[in-house]
Amino acid sequence: MQWAILSGIEGNLAAYEAVLKDLRQLRQLVTELYVLGDVVGLQGKTEGDNEAVIRRLRFPGAGELKPQVCVGWWEEQCFSLHGMSGLPDAPELMAAVGGDGVKAMWESVSRKSVQWLRSQHFGFHEFDCLLIHGSMAGYADELTPETPAIELCDRLIRADANHLFCGRSGRTFECWVTPAQLHSTVTTLDGPQPTQDQSKSPRRIIGVGSVGRNPGEATYTLYSPGSNQLSFRSVNYKKANYRPAKREKAKGFIPR
Amino acid sequence: MKLAVISCIHGNIEALDAVLADIDTQKAEEIYCLGDLVGYGPYPNEVVEKIRSRGIPSCQGCWDEDIVDGLNACECSYPSQLAEYRGHLAHEWTDKEIHPEVREYLATLPITLKKDNLCFVHGSPNSQHEYLLPSMDGFAALERVLATDADVLFCGHTHVPYERKLENAALSVKVNAVESSETEQQFQVPLKRIINAGSVGEPRHGRPNATYIIYDTDAAQVTLREVEYDYEKTCQAIIDKGLPPIFAWRLAKGMEFAELADDPTHVCER
Amino acid sequence: MSDLNPLGTPGITLVAGPPGIGKTTWISQFLSDSNHPLFYLCPGAGTETSTEAIDRLRVGYCFPQVTVIDDSQAADLLMNLPNQAQVYIEVGFHLDLAALPFNELPCRKVAIVPPELAQLTAQSEWHSWANELVAGNNIQAPNNIPEFRRMALTGQVFDPPSLEVLLTEITGGAYGPVIRLKGIFELPDGQAFYIDFVEGLEGIEYTELKLVRSLKGRPTRLSGLEVVGHSLQQTAMAETLQASCLSDELLTQYQRQYRQHYKAAQSTDDKTTNQTEESVA
Repeated sequence: MQWAILSGIEGNLAAYEAVLKDLRQLRQLVTELYVLGDVVGLQGKTEGDNEAVIRRLRFPGAGELKPQVCVGWWEEQCFSLHGMSGLPDAPELMAAVGGDGVKAMWESVSRKSVQWLRSQHFGFHEFDCLLIHGSMAGYADELTPETPAIELCDRLIRADANHLFCGRSGRTFECWVTPAQLHSTVTTLDGPQPTQDQSKSPRRIIGVGSVGRNPGEATYTLYSPGSNQLSFRSVNYKKANYRPAKREKAKGFIPR
Repeated sequence: MKLAVISCIHGNIEALDAVLADIDTQKAEEIYCLGDLVGYGPYPNEVVEKIRSRGIPSCQGCWDEDIVDGLNACECSYPSQLAEYRGHLAHEWTDKEIHPEVREYLATLPITLKKDNLCFVHGSPNSQHEYLLPSMDGFAALERVLATDADVLFCGHTHVPYERKLENAALSVKVNAVESSETEQQFQVPLKRIINAGSVGEPRHGRPNATYIIYDTDAAQVTLREVEYDYEKTCQAIIDKGLPPIFAWRLAKGMEFAELADDPTHVCER
Repeated sequence: MSDLNPLGTPGITLVAGPPGIGKTTWISQFLSDSNHPLFYLCPGAGTETSTEAIDRLRVGYCFPQVTVIDDSQAADLLMNLPNQAQVYIEVGFHLDLAALPFNELPCRKVAIVPPELAQLTAQSEWHSWANELVAGNNIQAPNNIPEFRRMALTGQVFDPPSLEVLLTEITGGAYGPVIRLKGIFELPDGQAFYIDFVEGLEGIEYTELKLVRSLKGRPTRLSGLEVVGHSLQQTAMAETLQASCLSDELLTQYQRQYRQHYKAAQSTDDKTTNQTEESVA
């Protein structure tokens, strides 16, 4: 069993196609394809790319895996624009990309597609893994190797998993956290309770990379749940043109 | 210096008066309040007026927020459908009862208060709705304190007081990334505390008595105070003023009107 | 009257006793007997909700081989008892023992009473009626006749945490002092529970009834609640019950999730998971 885990297509159809092609060339068969949000965005080459990416996800070709999609930051912005979540008018999107960006997003994703996105998952709990866009603290939670250690620890506890796969940062990394020691003493109205020594086994946060955010280079993650083996893939593709390029180069990186 | 910290008064003026009298006997120099001045109880206006007239700084609780912004907590912040139904009844009643200037005052309350190395919140630094229970994972609890840059985090919301010391914390982080070589770092955290002030007006420790805490900043010493008051007066007022009688029964039993949510750390995105 | 059974011992057992003493529980020990046709009758349930009488439902759900009969079928059955039949008649506390129509039948009369009353020297209405005394739960028999409330709940499915709260409240006396509560409640995972409380005994007992999961629309099998107590506030209790029942929309949502869950659980039984090692000393 091998999973391909990707995030951050951001409307970049060429990058997604390059990743799909890379998957076909892998020696070991990919059995599940997870897309951890940000399928739409402003990285497309044409206005139609967001819709094209959604079509590609919804209707995979013959013999292709059906992607399992959860929502990300960009999807949440669409929900906000279309009045499908608590916060109206997407203030986060406005702050991030300005009025033109908001307009482009509004015009490039149809309401019907937004409704489809709304019906996608919040995240996936599989075996001892949580796969999610941000974290259990929220879709905008951006975890990186520079995030304070105690915060990473907290996110792993909230994930209730040994392996937390996330996509918000767009980076590929593996961060093992070992909560080694802690003495906790609680005093209630009934007096002091016995002290607890808490320690936990090492667990990790994995940044799965970004397919579409960096033009020309798509990154994603392969994971074998049976062996816990993890590898990061980097796929180069031609930026300007999303017809299949002749020489696409892919390289792998296997963290120890 | 001695501080008194009170929380979750919930419109119970009898309990508040008894606690303020007890604070006087304890010779506390300052009083802090962690919010939920209104909701469930029969005297929301009176409680707010008393807090304001005594110049007690207060955070905003989840009930105060709902009275200001309208009921927008999602159903997942209620532990049960029954609690949600009753919460709505209490909200509607309070919303009708409350004076405009009281509502305006509640809107001005901050989410957190700080003083030196102390931080005051209603639920947790993340959310007015998060319950920091004494059984919460120690590392997760530590994260809540560290998120505030304080050494002592005061919270309420659970209606059961406690003090929790988190000592000798150690954790390590090992990073593998494509762009850099493997790194490993160790972290040690000195003593941190979470102090829950319990509830003045809606205690849930199994007795009807009000609870609050005294904190001695010099000795870093915590005293959990339990104060008797004439709860039957409040129970009668609940019935007389048209609040659901079940609230009076639960108050007399020392049971909160709403139990805790299934997943107390759950933070709703709405 | 036809021959009762080949051994000549009467096949009819009348069982009486105060509320919460353990009448149905005592009868239950004989209901797994597969050598005889078994019948169970709880007479005088008498109201329009009598089909939801909890003892009848419980016996029917727990012992499918037992024929549960109602008052109108009783006379006919007792006149024409099948060979080897065993009939158990549970006499509710609200019936006058001296005036029972079954008293004239050749039958075994068992009174289940608190242990101190089970001694031969003790005197009570049970002693003068019964020909056999059995020590039941150690509870106080009520001095004055309590009120009895039955609420039909068929079709209702409960929000589990709300159910827990309402049971704590009812048994804790929030709607008037309660000496006995028994009920059958449907939960969103399609299971039904038998719930039992007796004042003076510890806790509330939850028993999962081994029934087919009901995960398609509102359950059609019968369920209900019976409360015995004093000055019971029926309206307030009904409001709490109502507020704890799932709406159509929520029920549909839950049932969809549970159907998926059980389907998935079946297909992934063979998958193994790596459990987090965690030590809390």
